[in-house]
Amino acid sequence: MASTHVTKRAKYKTTIKDPGTPGTLRMTFEKILFVPHNPKSAGKLDVEFRYIKGKKHTKEGSNKPPWLNLTNNQNGSFIFEFENYSDLQECRDFVGKVLAKGGEVSEKPTVAYPDEQLSAAEMELRIKLLQEDSELQKLHKQFVLSGVLTETEFWATRKKLLDREASKKTKQRLGFKSAMISDIKPSTDGRTNKVTFNLTPEVILQIFAEKPAVHRAFLSYVPNKMSERTFWTKYFRAEYLHSTKNSIAAAAEAAEDEELAVFLKQDDILASEARKKIRRVDPTLDMEADEGDDYTHLPDHGILREGSKEMTESQNELYKRSLSQDINRHAAVVLEGRAVDVELEDTKAVAEALAQSKQKSSNKGESDGDTSRERLDRLSRMTEIEDLQGPNTLPLAPLCIKDPRDYFDSQQANALRSSGDALGEIEQIKCGLSTQEVYGSLRESISSIKAMGLKEPIVKPEVAHQVFDALTNSISNTKYHIGKNPQESVLDRLPRKTKEELLHHWTSILELLKHFWASYPITTTYLYVKVNRLKDAMSNIYPQLEALDAAIQHYEASMQKRSAQSGERPNGYV
Amino acid sequence: MKFQIEDVTVYFPYDHIYPEQYSYMIELKGTLDAKGHCLLEMPTGTGKTIALLSLITSYSLSKPQSPMKLIYCTRTVHEMEKTLAELKILHNYQIKHLGPQARILAIGLSSRKNLCVNPTVVAAENRDSVDAGCRKLTASWVRALAEENTDVTTCEFFESYEKAASAAVLPPGVYTLQELRAFGKEKGWCPYFLARHMVQFANVVVYSYQYLLDPKVAGIISKEMQKESVVVFDEAHNIDNVCIEALSVSVRRQTLEGATRNLSRISQEIDRYVFFYSRGLYRCQFLNWIMVGRFKATDTSILRAEYNRLVEGLVLGGNLPITDNWLSNPALPDDILKEAVPGNIRRAEHFLHVLRRLVQYLSGRLDTENVEKESPVGFVASICSHAGIDQKTLKFCYDRLHSLMLTLEITDTDEFLHIQTICDFATLVGTYGRGFSTIIEPFDERMPHIPDPVLQLSCHDASLAIKPVFDRFQSVVITSGTLSPIDLYPRLLNFHPVVSRSFTMSLTRDCICPMVLTRGSDQLPVSTKFDMRSDPGVVRNYGKLLLEMVSVVPDGIVCFFVSYSYMDGIINTWNDSGILKEIMQHKLVFIETQDVVETTLALDNYRRACDCGRGAVFFSVARGKVAEGIDFDRHYGRLVIMIGVPFQYTLSKILLARLEYLRDTFQIKEGDFLTFDALRQAAQCVGRVIRSKADYGMMIFADKRYSRHDKRSKLPSWILSHLQDANLNLSTDMALHIAREFLKKMAQPYDKTGSSDKKTLLSQEEMEKLGDGSMHEMSY
Repeated sequence: MASTHVTKRAKYKTTIKDPGTPGTLRMTFEKILFVPHNPKSAGKLDVEFRYIKGKKHTKEGSNKPPWLNLTNNQNGSFIFEFENYSDLQECRDFVGKVLAKGGEVSEKPTVAYPDEQLSAAEMELRIKLLQEDSELQKLHKQFVLSGVLTETEFWATRKKLLDREASKKTKQRLGFKSAMISDIKPSTDGRTNKVTFNLTPEVILQIFAEKPAVHRAFLSYVPNKMSERTFWTKYFRAEYLHSTKNSIAAAAEAAEDEELAVFLKQDDILASEARKKIRRVDPTLDMEADEGDDYTHLPDHGILREGSKEMTESQNELYKRSLSQDINRHAAVVLEGRAVDVELEDTKAVAEALAQSKQKSSNKGESDGDTSRERLDRLSRMTEIEDLQGPNTLPLAPLCIKDPRDYFDSQQANALRSSGDALGEIEQIKCGLSTQEVYGSLRESISSIKAMGLKEPIVKPEVAHQVFDALTNSISNTKYHIGKNPQESVLDRLPRKTKEELLHHWTSILELLKHFWASYPITTTYLYVKVNRLKDAMSNIYPQLEALDAAIQHYEASMQKRSAQSGERPNGYV
Repeated sequence: MKFQIEDVTVYFPYDHIYPEQYSYMIELKGTLDAKGHCLLEMPTGTGKTIALLSLITSYSLSKPQSPMKLIYCTRTVHEMEKTLAELKILHNYQIKHLGPQARILAIGLSSRKNLCVNPTVVAAENRDSVDAGCRKLTASWVRALAEENTDVTTCEFFESYEKAASAAVLPPGVYTLQELRAFGKEKGWCPYFLARHMVQFANVVVYSYQYLLDPKVAGIISKEMQKESVVVFDEAHNIDNVCIEALSVSVRRQTLEGATRNLSRISQEIDRYVFFYSRGLYRCQFLNWIMVGRFKATDTSILRAEYNRLVEGLVLGGNLPITDNWLSNPALPDDILKEAVPGNIRRAEHFLHVLRRLVQYLSGRLDTENVEKESPVGFVASICSHAGIDQKTLKFCYDRLHSLMLTLEITDTDEFLHIQTICDFATLVGTYGRGFSTIIEPFDERMPHIPDPVLQLSCHDASLAIKPVFDRFQSVVITSGTLSPIDLYPRLLNFHPVVSRSFTMSLTRDCICPMVLTRGSDQLPVSTKFDMRSDPGVVRNYGKLLLEMVSVVPDGIVCFFVSYSYMDGIINTWNDSGILKEIMQHKLVFIETQDVVETTLALDNYRRACDCGRGAVFFSVARGKVAEGIDFDRHYGRLVIMIGVPFQYTLSKILLARLEYLRDTFQIKEGDFLTFDALRQAAQCVGRVIRSKADYGMMIFADKRYSRHDKRSKLPSWILSHLQDANLNLSTDMALHIAREFLKKMAQPYDKTGSSDKKTLLSQEEMEKLGDGSMHEMSY
């Protein structure tokens, strides 16, 4: 196999049609040498391998003779016809090997670092993943930095990690900007009093969301009654009037222009929405209920407080809108988030999409009208004094499970602590039931479902929680008890550091094996090189493993000796 | 947990108890044993309410032979709901341990607006129209008419409640307003009248201060409460203001115009009767009246009947049906004359003449150019000489009007509020010679160019309104987080507490961090003093302070201003200078406005913003509705900034008159009272951040005046004890540094029960182990 040259009889053809010159083909790592039998014929060939770019060959079993076609980088080709297929094969393999070797040098810049074109974001994501997971980092260090695996190969098997992170990113919807609409400042041309507003669909969406009346007006006026341009001009005219805080002037202009009045008036949709919403607020906040209870708010009873006077001002009030109202409304809209998902391009589309989403949410609001129970629950939760009460919620493991071992280990601890006896109870209950009873209870629940329909939580949260606990318990049990039980594993009897090292070796061997088997069948030189590298890496580890093995054996022997001496017997040893 | 205090077994619904709750209960028990009144100041965030409820209910459970009623007064409806929710937890716990014998009936009582379930009535805008809407359907004469005429609508809920008669009772349990409504809907009974009825039988009644302090309301609702009741005024630091407001009335131009309209309408009604009486029927009008349901089936001599009744000395015709009740006499029960209505106003027409003359006189007085201040005695004398109405007649105005309205069977009472106000005024001014003053102001001092004359009858003596409560009930408990200085309240309210104590708070860790900020980031002093408040530098410094804090403090921040107008001004300035925009980049901004609906929604959104992690700032006003009763506990408020010292508007004539009265009567110095009043408001504002010892929050008093000892020392001791000397004179950057450190410290895990030598949380075993004696020592 590892021969440094191959010598075969073959015919050299310059073209396929060429009958060929018989001679001897000699291939070394450096060059291909063809010497014709007839020293006078002109078929002598001496080509260095680095000019050879590729190889083609005929297949065994096809009715073609065994040809090997080597192409050079000038697109010329050298065709050799062998006497039989086994010769061809040997030569082919040799060429493959040499080409791959050459490829290692020549291809590296293009193949090994294809990720140089990676976006910075992707790079960051990878770095973040490595930082979060120390084990991954170790593997990365071991294989990628030492050149066993390339960066791409390493991440190719972890596409999932990358994907999930990436998809999470794209799914997050953008909210509204924190800046208020009134912050839209016009640009002036500096000479005349004309100002220009630059409206993006984004801004328009925000205006619509914050001012439903403007939205409604847009839907009904544009484009039938006025152009979009006039519409926005009027809108900003109204905004300007507001900003002057001159409610009398506003009232005067509104009287003249019906459409302008729409923008100037208090938003009636908002008011009715507010009335609807007020029924759903937390009762501990409901100051409107106070108002209803307050006898001193009878007109003119009690002592005049600051501000109560403004309530009775003139009807210009209609055209007055305070900054506080705007700020509150803006914050509420930002908090609500953006309901519209469409690509924002056309104002009309924006307006309609918003109208649709509103319709949907209002339908939803009607259907789940019974939120009072939820409110009550919330209220009672709020009233409890947290530190006087024992811990209310079970300690929860963090949701993000990067390493299942961590999760199950922590769950095991929980399960052992809290649900140990509860589990026992459940089993008891299960045992105590006869078939009839089970059947009866099933029938009962079916009939009750028939009569009353499904209740909101089909499975009670407590029950679900118990089942879940039991499941995690049993799953984590097996994992956790591996190594705990002397009969099952020796791992845990090893010193901690050794154990960690072993585990690390285990994961790294797994990693190597994964890549190794993934490379088969070897179809390209690239894979070939990769397998070679993997093999080398594996063979590096192997002696270490043997040493470990010896160590373990030695340890076990000494332990046995010691236990025999002290007379203690391990559990289960009879 | 369950433990003994002397002979009483106290049931406490939590596994642990704070030591101060325990000593609070001991003091409370002492008060109940002595059947006296008490004054207890305990910091917010130590579970006052539950300690109170727990002890009083346990006390009455342990003495079944003499059942005791608990009347729990809150300032707002949402506090009422909170209290009832806590009581519910307690009640469930007691039932679990004692079984059915622990069952009690506890209800919250509110107005029709909050309890009505009739969809057509409750749809009305405000309280008055709901009341009137209810009367239109339930008044006795309407119901009588409905029996004959099927076109007349009544309220189905009230009808079925009436039909159920004595069977209409609430089963024992704790009912919040919401649950009362739900119960009413389910049974088809009117929850409002059911609750009104059940108040007599309930073991615990939770309602607003006014139901006990305002004679107009107390007269109809709290009339029948037995003497063996414990009255609790929770969050009572403002109780003196509630008392004086209950007895104050003001009259403006609009009131007088409205009253004139009311009078002509009443006289039309009277004419109609007289017309019937003298000439018989006009056919077309008769039909018209039938159409509008105005036709009265009885003989038209009811006016005559009323006259006869008044001659006999009965102001109101015996026991009125519950639905016909109106607001009661504005004067206190002891001061109402038990004698016949004077002869000159017994006839309806004569009474109307008297009222017309009164309105005319008042409108003449409003036409003044100068501020006039007069004692009620002088005012009555001048009414007598100019309008010919004597004091006794004035005194009877309210009752006479009430009787007339009932006689005329007027149901749309919301239309007649103006004349009612005038009669309230007349009755009060005729009844009280001292403790009041009448003040006429031609315009508001702050807007002298706008004529807005107002005549105010303002009460200065808080002890007047609360006196009947102290006299009538066995024990009255006045409690709050801020009652400092605690010796002032007995003087203001004129009573002698058997126990008067201020508790400090034992903290597991320093979870409150008060700071006094005197300088801005440019080291110039900040203050809302009148000459400084509009200085652009000060406004900018306040803005910068908030901006810095917003970028450091997580979740919710509350910012209190001294007044609405100041807040509006400062927000507009911030908006123009771009500071507001920068603040918005960190947190959402919500603002309290004068509109309660909007403010409620803003608060709701604020909480949601804090819940979802976005974080928010709430701008509010000291003495406003939010400052009075909304909690900003836990993540809803990690920092409170009190911008300025919330002094009252010191040029207000009413305030000046009150200060004068306090000085002359109680020897309380003006300056002292003003500072006391401002500081209790400030303490109230900042005290809303903390709810339990596990909670934490910072408080920044942003005004240079807070660093002065005379101001600062008026703060309650639980705040003062955490105010370190190093934090007394900070600039913005130093405050920022402290805030960072504090937040970092608070984010660490800690032992909730406190270190071994200073327990801040007691478990059942520890309570049992420790004898009473050692407990006492510990908590001091």
